[in-house]
Amino acid sequence: MGIQNLLWQVTKKAFTGGIIGVTISDRCCSVVPVRGDSMSPTLNPQRNSYLDDYVLVEKFCLQDYKFVRGDVVVFSSPTHFKDKYIKRIVGLPGEWISSSRDVIRVPEGHCWVEGDNKASSLDSRTFGPIPLGLIRGRVTSVVWPPQRVSKIS
Amino acid sequence: MGIQTLIWQVTKKAFTGGIIGLTISDRFCSVVPVRGDSMSPTFNPQRDSYLDDYVLVDKFCLKDYKFARGDVVVFSSPSHYKERYIKRIVGMPGEWISSTEDVIRVPEGHCWVEGDNKASSLDSRTFGPIPLGLIGGRVTRVVWPPQRLSKIGG
Repeated sequence: MGIQNLLWQVTKKAFTGGIIGVTISDRCCSVVPVRGDSMSPTLNPQRNSYLDDYVLVEKFCLQDYKFVRGDVVVFSSPTHFKDKYIKRIVGLPGEWISSSRDVIRVPEGHCWVEGDNKASSLDSRTFGPIPLGLIRGRVTSVVWPPQRVSKIS
Repeated sequence: MGIQTLIWQVTKKAFTGGIIGLTISDRFCSVVPVRGDSMSPTFNPQRDSYLDDYVLVDKFCLKDYKFARGDVVVFSSPSHYKERYIKRIVGMPGEWISSTEDVIRVPEGHCWVEGDNKASSLDSRTFGPIPLGLIGGRVTRVVWPPQRLSKIGG
């Protein structure tokens, strides 16, 4: 009877802890790895995947959708909806962006994103401005590896 | 001492229940009201807002993003990201849609949505195809008012 009770208590605590963890990850913040070098040298300055950066993504910004130019954001790709990209916002709604051939105005409700490493980045220069509704969070700091812990402005 | 423990226990249970409810609403299903008559007569067949339908929105579909033509979905507006619309998918990626002036192909990763009440619906005919990443759930049934309880077929 004592063992059963103990097991039940442990299960309840584990379940509650898991649910709280999921809620925090969905609504407050989560830690994600950065793949690829499209954001070099801000993120992943080396090409070795053992040293991939892990960044803190905060989700409070999704309440008001208050983004500014320069924010590094995580968003779902407009063409491959299961993929998530990390890029920097360089154009807000209503602003003009000079693309390779012409000048484009960022439509209402959208933003223009580009990687810091322009030579190796799949971004708005390819798939155009993205709706703000696709953004899943804002990157605030690097949390791993320890020697690269820093805030992202 | 007994009252303090009781209050603490009640607070813990309420907090845990709230967190569990939040997770269920985010990841499993939630109930939302339908505003406007762009989906008449499927939803809100009358114009009186006292009789707004409440629908069950299923979120399991977001794991695999397996949508089909005919699904009624909830999505964030591509031009006004804080607003949510409920419309029906009438075009999947790669399909051709005949618009007012010409024939459009739905790009990869997008879908074409239209309201059932075409005269009074702001949908893809205005803002174009929407990325599938904007979809927030699929409507499975009407849950209120009780006389309109029904499944929404694909």
